[in-house]
Amino acid sequence: MPVVPLKFRPHQDGLLLFADDAGGYFKSDHAFLRRYACDQLTSGDLAFLHVNGHAYNAVGDLAYSGFEHRFAERLYLPREMDYVILVPTLRCNLACGYCQVSRVNEATPGFDWDDSIVEAVLGFLDSLSARKIKVEFQGGEPLLRLDVIERIRDFCSQRFDACELVICTNLQEVSDPAWDLLGRDDVFVSTSLDGNRMTHQKQRTILPGKTDQFFSNLDFAVSRLGSEKISALPTIDPRNAPSPEEVIETFLNYDIRSIYLRPVNYQGFARKKFDARGSADLWNRYHASFIDALVEHNWSSAVPVEEYYFVHCLRRVLRSGHNGHVDLRNPNIVGHGYVVIDYDGKIYPTDEARMVTRIGQFDMSMGDVFRGISAETIDRLNAEALNNFHPDCVHCPYQAFCGVDLVDDISRYGRIDMPKHMTDFCQRHTSIFDRIFAMIYSDDPKVKKTLALWAGTSHFDPLLAKVHQ
Amino acid sequence: MISLRLKVDPLPIDEPLVVRLQAPGSPARTDHDAVLAEVAPDRREYDLNGFSFGVYGVSDEVIDGDVLMMMPGETTAHRLIRAGSAHNTLLVTEQCDQLCVMCSQPPKKYHADLFEQFTLAASLAPQGAVIGVSGGEPLLHKDRLFCMLEEVKARRPDIGFHVLTNAQHFSRADFERLQRLDHERVLWGVPLYSAIPENHDRIVGKPGAFANLEQGLSILMRAGASLELRTVVMQQNWQDLSALADYVSTRLNFLTVWAIMQLERIGYARMNWKDTFQDTSSDFDQIARAVDIATARGIKASLYNFPLCSVPPAYQDFAPSTISDWKRKYLDFCLNCRSKETCGGFFQWYSHTEGFEFLGPL
Repeated sequence: MPVVPLKFRPHQDGLLLFADDAGGYFKSDHAFLRRYACDQLTSGDLAFLHVNGHAYNAVGDLAYSGFEHRFAERLYLPREMDYVILVPTLRCNLACGYCQVSRVNEATPGFDWDDSIVEAVLGFLDSLSARKIKVEFQGGEPLLRLDVIERIRDFCSQRFDACELVICTNLQEVSDPAWDLLGRDDVFVSTSLDGNRMTHQKQRTILPGKTDQFFSNLDFAVSRLGSEKISALPTIDPRNAPSPEEVIETFLNYDIRSIYLRPVNYQGFARKKFDARGSADLWNRYHASFIDALVEHNWSSAVPVEEYYFVHCLRRVLRSGHNGHVDLRNPNIVGHGYVVIDYDGKIYPTDEARMVTRIGQFDMSMGDVFRGISAETIDRLNAEALNNFHPDCVHCPYQAFCGVDLVDDISRYGRIDMPKHMTDFCQRHTSIFDRIFAMIYSDDPKVKKTLALWAGTSHFDPLLAKVHQ
Repeated sequence: MISLRLKVDPLPIDEPLVVRLQAPGSPARTDHDAVLAEVAPDRREYDLNGFSFGVYGVSDEVIDGDVLMMMPGETTAHRLIRAGSAHNTLLVTEQCDQLCVMCSQPPKKYHADLFEQFTLAASLAPQGAVIGVSGGEPLLHKDRLFCMLEEVKARRPDIGFHVLTNAQHFSRADFERLQRLDHERVLWGVPLYSAIPENHDRIVGKPGAFANLEQGLSILMRAGASLELRTVVMQQNWQDLSALADYVSTRLNFLTVWAIMQLERIGYARMNWKDTFQDTSSDFDQIARAVDIATARGIKASLYNFPLCSVPPAYQDFAPSTISDWKRKYLDFCLNCRSKETCGGFFQWYSHTEGFEFLGPL
């Protein structure tokens, strides 16, 4: 009976974690590894491997086809473009120390869309074949260009069957007309909430008056729009982080139950202030303590809370076809499913690519709204954006769950051929997947409860944590 | 109870006749449209291309748009399509090569081929209708079945089919024909009762059925077909459900939905009720495990034919109303239930004295 290739890694309890290219996994011991490596598998081994989807009787039989299907579903295939990120202005009324976008002061001229760009953006949107569209406004502070948002919204609601708008705003100064816009059914709010008041002030608002202004706006937003229409991201500097418990409490105060922890992103201005390399370890420790705190919280609270990205990774372990999040994909083909249109009308495959270009590292633009998309450079990068055959990844049991981020590699190291295990991306994700498997194979009832909540089930079934010995 | 047959005047016909009933004044859009001409207390008179015939016993029910099939020499017409219902099923054959312990429609030896009439009836169905195709085993008449699906697709691409089949008879030669069907509009409903081949074979009464089924499912997967996997819960497979969930998640994750179904107390199921019915109101554990495993694996599980009050609260969202309107009833205590609107109730032939032990209004 043929057995598909298995990759393995020591698990924390002395056993080994095995996984295949389609994301099937189990735990076993070194004796099994020896039998597998020396072609001495017993009939008991083979029966287990067959049931668990790692072995088949003949090419094309159901076990084989099922494996193929799960393998194929784990590959991200870009569909038609149905998501655009628009940057109508770089001007902002805050000057956050870590600002990952290049921003300019509120009064600075020359960093806004003019009429000709707005017209060209509308033309670009009109050329899309999708029937539904998601438009995200970033900046700068996009509410400084309410006029542009309204124009785009009017256009999209006529041009597409369905249109969803996300406004990424600092909620610092919100005019009455802006509140009216944010209150519409098709409009969602994404804002920053840096863990607790003190950190938020230190990292973002600086002055107590401005801090009050933000929190009072956030209060008003939650009461007027409902917490389900608001997402809030905490940007965390692991060197100076608020305690996980404080962060959880702050978010629960606003009834926000999904927290997407973001490490300070060492791009744009942040590059000048923070050490760009070697921070993964610090971050991983903070993130792990955050997961501990969530497990503890969920055990005793009737209101469960999740860390958004960790849950996304968990679901990628459990399921194939879970490719909906742009930050973790394989192959990570960029510039097709969505694009970013900058304040000057230039088009970028991702927001990070916009930064890399802006600080002069590497030109990752792909045309502009006047001449259209030219994806040649980006597609050359896309040809490498695959972890299946990467010499480091082929031996990693997490390969099927993981992805690649070449833009991040370029941004940090100026090249895409760093040994993967030395990259920040790999170190952060290895740590997350180690933790996920520690939880999957944990006997702790607290861990099991949180795991079930995050897997979307009532109980976490033991058949999802098989051990073969 | 909704009537699937209507009394009609006998017509001077040699062949079965398919007609669509139209409201008065409606333009006859095809040669098969009969327009209501006169309404008497118990009789409605229709005009079909200059001939008239009567339909009896329709009181308040709206039958405009319904498609009837009249048989030579018979005074009852088959109501093939009820325009106002989402539960129309064409019983294309009563022959079957399996003999399942809980079969609700036990097979018969002889086959009357009415595919031509069914094809016409489907083509006269309301816009966007989804029509059930059932048996017996429809694939015993595979070529006729494919012809029907292809012809209706050509004439009425808006019409969908939900075909119940044991998937024993797909071969590699069917691959291209299967591939050309509209996968958005043809859903294959295929039963699988256990991941243990002997148990599945015993339940369906056919040695080797499991092996054939695996091949059939593999062909459906490769053709890109849409699959509704159907598992009736019984005493015979109660202990197999969690392993089946595991099997489904490694082999069949292409499926559209995994239907875990309660028993319909008719046919062989009625005969074998005591040895087959699993009271899931008193013990739900194995279903809970199966649903949890499937859900964690990203597979959509759905509980068909479960009264909502028989399902623990955490799993009630998995139980849509699935019992066909003409087969459905509610019990006395349902009157006080606040979930009656979303609950599919019970089969007409459900007997509460032999049924679920722990039920009551929500």
